Amino acid sequence: MQNSILILFLVLAGMSALVFTFVYLSSKKAGKDEQGIPNPLKTRFWFLLILFVILGIFASVTIPRSPYFLFADETPVRVIHVSAMQFAFLMSDKAIDPKNPVGEASIELPANKLVEFRVTSLDVNHGFAIYDQSNRLIAQTQAMPGYVNRLRWKFKEPGNYTILCLEYCGMAHQVMRASLTIK
Amino acid sequence: METIKLRKITSLWIITVLFLFIVNIVLGIIMRLNQGEILHEQPATFYAHMTTHGLTQIGIWFVAGMTGINYLMERYLKTSYLANVVAMVLTVTGILMLWTSTYIGNFHAGWTFLYPLPLKIMWAKWATPLFLGSILVMGVGWLTWSVSMMTQILKKYPLTKALAWQHFRKNPTIQTPPFILISMITLIGIITCLLGAVLLLAMYAAEYFSNGAFVNDALLMKNLTYFFGHTIANEMLYLGLAVIYELFPEVGGRPKWKATWYVALAWNCTLVFILTAFFHHLYMDFVQPVGFQIVGQIASYMASLPAAGVTVFSVLVAVYRTSIKWSLTNLLFFIGVAGWVIGGLGAVIDVTITNNFVLHNTLWVPAHFHTYNALGNVLFSLAFFHWFSIQFSEKTDFEKLTKLKLTLLLIGGIGFLLAFYIGGAESMPRRYSNYPAEFPMAAPLAIGAAVFATIYLAAILIFFFQISKRCLNILFSSSSH
Ligand code: HEM
Ligand SMILES: [Cu+2]
Repeated sequence: MQNSILILFLVLAGMSALVFTFVYLSSKKAGKDEQGIPNPLKTRFWFLLILFVILGIFASVTIPRSPYFLFADETPVRVIHVSAMQFAFLMSDKAIDPKNPVGEASIELPANKLVEFRVTSLDVNHGFAIYDQSNRLIAQTQAMPGYVNRLRWKFKEPGNYTILCLEYCGMAHQVMRASLTIK
Repeated sequence: METIKLRKITSLWIITVLFLFIVNIVLGIIMRLNQGEILHEQPATFYAHMTTHGLTQIGIWFVAGMTGINYLMERYLKTSYLANVVAMVLTVTGILMLWTSTYIGNFHAGWTFLYPLPLKIMWAKWATPLFLGSILVMGVGWLTWSVSMMTQILKKYPLTKALAWQHFRKNPTIQTPPFILISMITLIGIITCLLGAVLLLAMYAAEYFSNGAFVNDALLMKNLTYFFGHTIANEMLYLGLAVIYELFPEVGGRPKWKATWYVALAWNCTLVFILTAFFHHLYMDFVQPVGFQIVGQIASYMASLPAAGVTVFSVLVAVYRTSIKWSLTNLLFFIGVAGWVIGGLGAVIDVTITNNFVLHNTLWVPAHFHTYNALGNVLFSLAFFHWFSIQFSEKTDFEKLTKLKLTLLLIGGIGFLLAFYIGGAESMPRRYSNYPAEFPMAAPLAIGAAVFATIYLAAILIFFFQISKRCLNILFSSSSH
């Protein structure tokens, strides 16, 4: 996913740079009384229409795939409660009592089955971001005090997954982490 | 016409902005060197740099935009010198308060100070009120300036004319200059988001002084924070655009741009989209009503249409196969627009919710916003600074080192930004003082970025010396030639 995003971006950025260079060079070559394109209004209209259509297609294809709708009509086989705090994640099969927060030492989850993370925070905002075995970010949600974000996910491959905090939460933000084992 | 007083305060603003920019770039390079394991600072110190750099950058490029608007506005109407001075005093005071809170008080909650982090004291106790106070002081200064400017516009142009609504009818009798229209639209946005900041700070104060009796709602506070933070960071770009509309055709010897129905429509729409696009900062808060999330994506997409279809298109049309006169001023504008477009592409990719799922709070975020700032808005303001500084100079070698400066800016800027984009695509988190072992490429990338940022800095130093020299002349000249 991220690789195609980067390539898409580089292609679009390169094309824009080319257009600007081309337009710049055209003015260098222009004669004294050349007056540019004859009917800019019409060109503008087409340019806008095409842009509008492209963005419209993008929006209608991507919005239904937003994480809020992921696996919405399935029932998860496991629910994991996650309480983030400065600077650790507590995870448990049972609800975590904020007055006496304890998590399990390790979490094992089945591959190719739907699991749901119910993510909250006991202090400030944190991020709950799942990284796969090649350290690629595959899914995330925020951990916000007073709220529970439900992230549903199916892990495709067994192995070790890393959780990193992706919302700046103070001086040890960069070492706040946990892990999951998928069997 | 503008007075000598205005000329002097504009010079002072320019010198201040450029000086603080240099300090800020140095902070940025220090951060990258720390991430590259060349420097070994305490994480809290890194985050203090990050907080200082972030808010100071927002501050200086906002006032840089306002300076340009204020100076050029005098072509159309009288502006308030007092408001300008108030803004300067309060901005400088605010920056000093900020730096005291971060470097003496060690406050380091990030420039977006996401609730409730500032209230979880991990620094000197007084640093939190001082930091929030710095935002209040700057905010009041900017609010004064914006309200005063808007009042002056409304004295000359009634609201509907300032918003160019008469252009929706056939053959309007009165023309609204695009500069007035864009300034007006932007000022409305700025005043709205600054009022949001006042509300946000009031909520903080209520909790701070209630001794635990009152606790804010984290989701509401996050919405308010980004309503302010996102919007102010975007509006400052639009200030730069107003300057382009005024100066780009002029310095190129092309006919002045006029407001037409589609220009009026585009800018009026922009106002609406800009004020609702901030929802994209909350995509990963799944408890936020889904309707807002979708509005966030659509408004963010739509915001790019008037920008691309009107501003970018007009700039391209003004250049394409025309005998435009090139100078450093309009080259900076032109390259800046290209940088703005490319940063915008990075942004449109990120505001797509499905992409944001794997890009949110990775280095992709600083990648795109640094693109339209460091290679966009900064160039708009540099163009104005350069143009202004040569207005009152007898020398004619203004374009000295143009090629060198632009080459350094571009090479340095592109290299520095690419490291962020690659980092983002490699899932590296933003706001990490040191990268975990999972990302072996992160440190080398950071070092490379620091090297390129130094090249960028070299260009800025040349600009600084050339422009400040002329500005100092204006500042200390007694004549009014
Ligand atoms: C070449 C010049 C610059 C350098 C070297 C630089 C460097 C940096 C670095 C290293 C970070 C931290 C990134 C991270 O790991 O999250 C950062 C963040 C930031 N920069 Fe820059 N930057 C530059 C120019 C600018 C400009 C022109 C702006 C104008 C608005 C800006 C605004 C910001 C903001 C708002 C942040 C976020 C701070 C936060 O996360 O709280 N920077 N910059
Ligand atoms: Cu955290």
